[in-house]
Amino acid sequence: MDGGFLPALFTDHTLRVVGLGAGAVGALAGSLGCFALLRRQSLLGDAVSHAALPGIALAFLLTGSRATPVLVLGAALTGWLGTLFVMAVVRHSRIPEDSALGILLSVFFGVGLVLLTFLQRGPTAAQAGLDTFLFGQAATLLVQDVILVLSLGGVALLLLALSWKEVKLLAFDREFGRVQGIPMGRVDLLLTSLLVVAIVLGLQTVGVVLMSALVVAPAAAARQWTDSLGRMVILAGALGAGAGVGGAWMSTLGDGIPTGPAIVLLASGVVAVSILAAPRRGVLWDRIRRRRVRARLAAGGGTPGMPSEAPGERERLGGGD
Amino acid sequence: MSNGMPPSRDDAPPGHPRGRTWNRAGDDPDPSVPALEVDDLTVAYREQPVLWDVDLRIRQGSATAIVGPNGAGKTTLIRSILGLVPRAAGRVRILGSPLEDVRRQVAYVPQRGSVDWDFPTSVEDVVLMGTYGHLGWFRRPGKREREAARRALERVEMAAFAHRQISELSGGQQQRVFLARALVQEARVHFLDEPFQGVDARTERSIMDVLHELRDRGDTVIAVHHSLQTVPEYFDGVVLLNVRLIAAGPVDAVFTDENLRTAYGGRIPYRSPTSPTSPPPPGASPAAGPPPPLEG
Repeated sequence: MDGGFLPALFTDHTLRVVGLGAGAVGALAGSLGCFALLRRQSLLGDAVSHAALPGIALAFLLTGSRATPVLVLGAALTGWLGTLFVMAVVRHSRIPEDSALGILLSVFFGVGLVLLTFLQRGPTAAQAGLDTFLFGQAATLLVQDVILVLSLGGVALLLLALSWKEVKLLAFDREFGRVQGIPMGRVDLLLTSLLVVAIVLGLQTVGVVLMSALVVAPAAAARQWTDSLGRMVILAGALGAGAGVGGAWMSTLGDGIPTGPAIVLLASGVVAVSILAAPRRGVLWDRIRRRRVRARLAAGGGTPGMPSEAPGERERLGGGD
Repeated sequence: MSNGMPPSRDDAPPGHPRGRTWNRAGDDPDPSVPALEVDDLTVAYREQPVLWDVDLRIRQGSATAIVGPNGAGKTTLIRSILGLVPRAAGRVRILGSPLEDVRRQVAYVPQRGSVDWDFPTSVEDVVLMGTYGHLGWFRRPGKREREAARRALERVEMAAFAHRQISELSGGQQQRVFLARALVQEARVHFLDEPFQGVDARTERSIMDVLHELRDRGDTVIAVHHSLQTVPEYFDGVVLLNVRLIAAGPVDAVFTDENLRTAYGGRIPYRSPTSPTSPPPPGASPAAGPPPPLEG
């Protein structure tokens, strides 16, 4: 078999590894991203990924190793520190969360860039490739990297499935859970940790700059198509995996095309289509429905209650009871 | 208006959530123990007192309204009792015990606007959230829980909506779903934060019927309420609040012109049926001395 994308993806060993890794990263980020989206914490993903950059540089600086587990550990540590920092700022000061996240994001990212620049000037070439963490390069994924992503990602998704109802309650009505005596603080800690894991595992493939898009975009697209949290998480995981595989393949087409932008372009395309065309929540659908209602009112058949309409549509039209 | 002895729990009709599907935590409490005791409760936001030195006794088997002007701390009172707002000082006992020990006897209906109704979930799933506390981590709601959720939805006349997406509900329907979620907890003390907000008259009526049934069964209902006009009809007791406790007790004793003027700062949005001729009953004077206990 020669030529064509699919055959190469299945026959070429490197492409298979890269595709599998990028797909797993997309699935993990997409499914966990649903909760970031629903809790209106989309910026948290951005803050965590930017905060991970100095961790990557520091991990290399201290160990001299470029092995993925070492760098991921460094990334996770500073990503985590950053999250705790934001939580502390929000709790103990009057700075609102979005400002705290914005400050954290730029400060940590700045420190990371300074460290990277410093490393580039180093006497050896050992640091070469660290800058791929900025925009991601799926081609640098090794078999053991993919195994790391699959195993840690699998554990993360298993924990999510086991804590499903707690996590759902956290996202919908945290205080109701607290009154029932469910330790919502611990549930929050778990969910945030899982998101940090998903993000740092994706940094090598997608890069710190655009990783948050892979967290938010599949979730935003999936929300358009379903009204069930379970289906939304599965669909977002699938869309993320698709964007991951597609983006990884795109980046192998030309030499040095960074994977992150390719993945994010694909994911954004899916979001755009979903916002436009999804049934019921889509923009086109809304237009059509509004036109129909207007036509019915113009025909004189409509009453304010519009009994033939679902209550939800009444609400959206400003009626309601 | 004020009902006498709470009726026995044994005459609960079958099919009601009080059929106690799972909530066997704690046997029937001694009916003489107050449902709620609050002593010296003070809550402050950034040095500003929101509640100041509130003392309260509410007996079991009663329906009590918490009323007062905007910013009086009505919601804060409920939230601090439920541990959602830190207390600067004070002690709270529910059925004679600290909240931690009686969580499964306590149900909470938060303000409807406190959640995102565009959340991707169904009516049944929201009601099932009331069973999570019983289930514990890792366990999923099963047949028993779904059955209880169905009964609770029937109680609030929402059974037909079980599989409806929650964003499709009207305000009154949302409120009834929240009530069903509290019913499924099979609690004994029910706290409601503005259960009639944005609800039409018919829904208000049917919600109140459910609350009265709970009360007649010996449960305790405590609700933040906005309309002074309906207090005498809906509730046995009333807590008049404006940062401090102005008065608490049976409705006729508390709803005097003097008390209302103290609470609302001269502008009374309600004329008490006893005014202007009858003098305020002893013990109901504003903010002086301990408030009259609601229980005997």
